[in-house]
Amino acid sequence: MSDSKTIPSSVSSTEVLIIGAGLAGLAAAVRLAMFGKKVVLLEKHYVVGGLNSFYARKGRKFDVGLHALTNYPSPSSGKSSPLLKLCRQLRLPIEDLKLLPQSSSRITFGTSSLCFTNDFEYFLSQVEENFPKSVDSFNQLLGKMEAFPAYSVDAEEISARAVLSDSGIDPLLVEMLLCPTCYYGSARPNDIDFPTFIMLFDAIFKQGLSRPELGIRAILDPLNQKLKELGVDRRMNCGVTSITTKNDQATEVLLETGEVIEAEKIISTCGIRETEKLLNLPAIEDENVRIGKFSIIESIRVFDGHPRDFGWDETVIFFNKSDKFTYNCPETLVDLESGVICIPDNYGNQTSGKESKMRVTHPANFSKWSDLLEPEYKEKKKKWEQTILEQAMHFLPNGQKLLPQLIAKTHLTDTFTPKTIKRFTSHINGALYGSPTKRRDGSTRFKNLYLAGTDQGYVGIVGAMLGGIAVANNQILRSQ
Amino acid sequence: MDKQKVKQIVLDIIAEIAPDEDLSDVKSDIRLRDQLDLDSMDFLDIVMELRKQHGIDVPEAEYRQLESLDSCANYLLPKFEASATA
Repeated sequence: MSDSKTIPSSVSSTEVLIIGAGLAGLAAAVRLAMFGKKVVLLEKHYVVGGLNSFYARKGRKFDVGLHALTNYPSPSSGKSSPLLKLCRQLRLPIEDLKLLPQSSSRITFGTSSLCFTNDFEYFLSQVEENFPKSVDSFNQLLGKMEAFPAYSVDAEEISARAVLSDSGIDPLLVEMLLCPTCYYGSARPNDIDFPTFIMLFDAIFKQGLSRPELGIRAILDPLNQKLKELGVDRRMNCGVTSITTKNDQATEVLLETGEVIEAEKIISTCGIRETEKLLNLPAIEDENVRIGKFSIIESIRVFDGHPRDFGWDETVIFFNKSDKFTYNCPETLVDLESGVICIPDNYGNQTSGKESKMRVTHPANFSKWSDLLEPEYKEKKKKWEQTILEQAMHFLPNGQKLLPQLIAKTHLTDTFTPKTIKRFTSHINGALYGSPTKRRDGSTRFKNLYLAGTDQGYVGIVGAMLGGIAVANNQILRSQ
Repeated sequence: MDKQKVKQIVLDIIAEIAPDEDLSDVKSDIRLRDQLDLDSMDFLDIVMELRKQHGIDVPEAEYRQLESLDSCANYLLPKFEASATA
């Protein structure tokens, strides 16, 4: 008997087993354990958070996903922010997050720019100033968005690009609106589904951007603490080999360690296709489940002082070189045509600091990066890092003039590629936002197996957590 | 146990799940939803906390019995009394 994988080394059982300790998995685990469910939470990686995690380099911690926490409960959005609902559901006082609101952010296409803050009226005035002829059509579009049932689980996933293009607003405004919404949550190339567009538009523009003072750990640490207090059996470095099914039920999960855990209910947060693979069934190739391909590279510069020393005051800058937004898996390793710059130290109103970061994100090709062997992988990474960090300066005030000064103050640069995204998320192709096909209610063809997280379609940190909560509430707590 | 106590129990639960709400002037005969920022997720939590803290079960079809403090008291009092004598 040499095949140890077929002989379970031990068998245990639980009420709910959750695959993946990303934000959806963590939130679901907390909700279920709060109300007495016995929960086992499995994570393949050695840190929690999934896409929204962190890593350490030379004594510093870097957030992977968090550019911005959206849905800031700004005075103009009031209590409608889903972030408040989320905090209530997890009994996480919002004050504990110590949110620092953004200063201002910008969308730049060629020579045109739209700025936004956490005051939606200001964004409206920017649209009016830059696209005076589009004001009426834009207002009609806003009305249409409000009337659309974007937050319902069966919202029709029509193309946002098509709706926006038909709205009569300036074609450049269409592209500029798609840019931040795609970057913060689209699994589709050059487009985003309309319901997600609306949710992200609300999250980014109507509510706003902020960042917890301590970054993503401000969310992860208290959740971990709650898991501990509630007695959740959280296991790190614990990959899943397969999910066993019988008729229309999932019955147990085989771990990479050979251990078997029987579960009454299973929540998988690793993705539609990824979960399907774990089922080990003769594939019923669902033609409608598309494979996500969009991934990113991100380069980070750590420099002395504060960005405001350089006259840079903005928090996030979405840029595109031409008038036509490109958002897809490029043919080359990296696509420099469009990208996002995030200056995390510009959240809040600090004007000085010992050390600051600048993060620059571009679309990147997962297979091209994966095909590179060492040392070429490292070499390419270094080469692209320099190009990315230098090109970004074109989009900052006096950027090129200030570049030599910035380089002189730089003491660390680092880059993560689509391979890193794959390691943190386990998504096929390192797809940042998973499959373009979503299952909003979390249901699968097995009665007690649910999807949560990225492929549930609620994106961003807030969306992922609310998605996990919704599955815990609607599929498990409500039905008992 | 009386209706006043039941109302207080419900208010205590709301204070726990929605600490940002001002509960100093909640009217008994007006729907909670109409005077406080509570949505269906919050009502689920009231139900879950009633079960967790007091062993009271509210079937999903009867959630709307919890719409005001008065209706909560009318609906929950027999349940509290039954569980006290059980």
